Amino acid sequence: MGVYAITGASSGIGAKTKELLEQEGHKVINIDLKGGDICVNLATAEGRKDAVDKLHEMCPDGLDGMICNAGVSGACGNLALIISLNYFGTVAVATGVYDLLEKKHGSCVVTASNTISQGAGRMDIADLLNNIGDEKRVLELIGSLDSANLSIGNSMYVSTKYALARWVRRVSASWAANGVRINAIAPGNVNTAMTATMSTSAKMALNALPIPTKFGMETLMDASEIAEAMIFLVSPKAGGINGNVMFVDGGTDALLNSEKVY
Amino acid sequence: MKPIEKYIEAMENKDFAGLAELFTKDGILCDYCSNSSSQREYHIYGREAINMFFRNKFGFRQYSIMTAEVVNDEQAEFIASFGGYHIMAIATVREVDADGFIKRLTVRPK
Repeated sequence: MGVYAITGASSGIGAKTKELLEQEGHKVINIDLKGGDICVNLATAEGRKDAVDKLHEMCPDGLDGMICNAGVSGACGNLALIISLNYFGTVAVATGVYDLLEKKHGSCVVTASNTISQGAGRMDIADLLNNIGDEKRVLELIGSLDSANLSIGNSMYVSTKYALARWVRRVSASWAANGVRINAIAPGNVNTAMTATMSTSAKMALNALPIPTKFGMETLMDASEIAEAMIFLVSPKAGGINGNVMFVDGGTDALLNSEKVY
Repeated sequence: MKPIEKYIEAMENKDFAGLAELFTKDGILCDYCSNSSSQREYHIYGREAINMFFRNKFGFRQYSIMTAEVVNDEQAEFIASFGGYHIMAIATVREVDADGFIKRLTVRPK
């Protein structure tokens, strides 16, 4: 049985993924702000270093899989948190445990979002994240934006997820050449604590993003639907899949972007 | 009302469900105007897909039509707005079934 680490597994998609992996007999280490096996704040440099150091202590023989799932929505009202946790927290943890993954020829799965294909992100921010990679500078640049504005929060969220997916594709070739696969999952809107606490306007926006597999049901994706795909991607069964951004959204992306086959 | 008139009425009212019901179960709506607004074309296959697609477009105010005029039994002209980018368009009902449901409708730049 394998050893897996997952960020943000105290609730939502992460918790379901942890539960299903454990049902398969794997050891799963949860890294989260609260309720984790490793409790750290991945929005900070110290928290990320702490997480990576502790994983090295706990898994000296390596990791079979790293699932970077922790993140906040665009409705959280804190633009700096969106940038620091969603993008920098993920990249730091994934790269920080790369050597552990290399030891076991493991793989990494990163949670993006199906919103990356819907044109709501700010490409300038995504470019800054990927091409400059200076957290302090990016936070200064967004400092003047209105964090209470839902559409700005959403555009920041999409930008971080777009940048994450692009980062995955950029590093995937060299990682795979060294025996470590890396892929991204782009989930649709899921019933989680995050979506349950959304404002009415945010919920209306969700309803305007139909999920074909849920047609007529006015419901969101189930966390287990995303978790099952994550477990597949991180497992050896997906040994031929690398650098892939897999949309697990019940077909929303295909509905809205049928002509985008690549 | 003719199918083209019903189509215009549904589009003007942003009635995505009513719009979808004008089509056969496997009806197709192709909109080539979006190319002009730097988007990809819309090729929407099936009644449910038409429902969901326009629910999204109307919900996010990404598609609307203005100053529509039915010009003959199968065609109507209007200004299509893709999130504020305006394109002169002509919609054509290409094929209907025996019950009057639309099997294929295209929208092209005029």
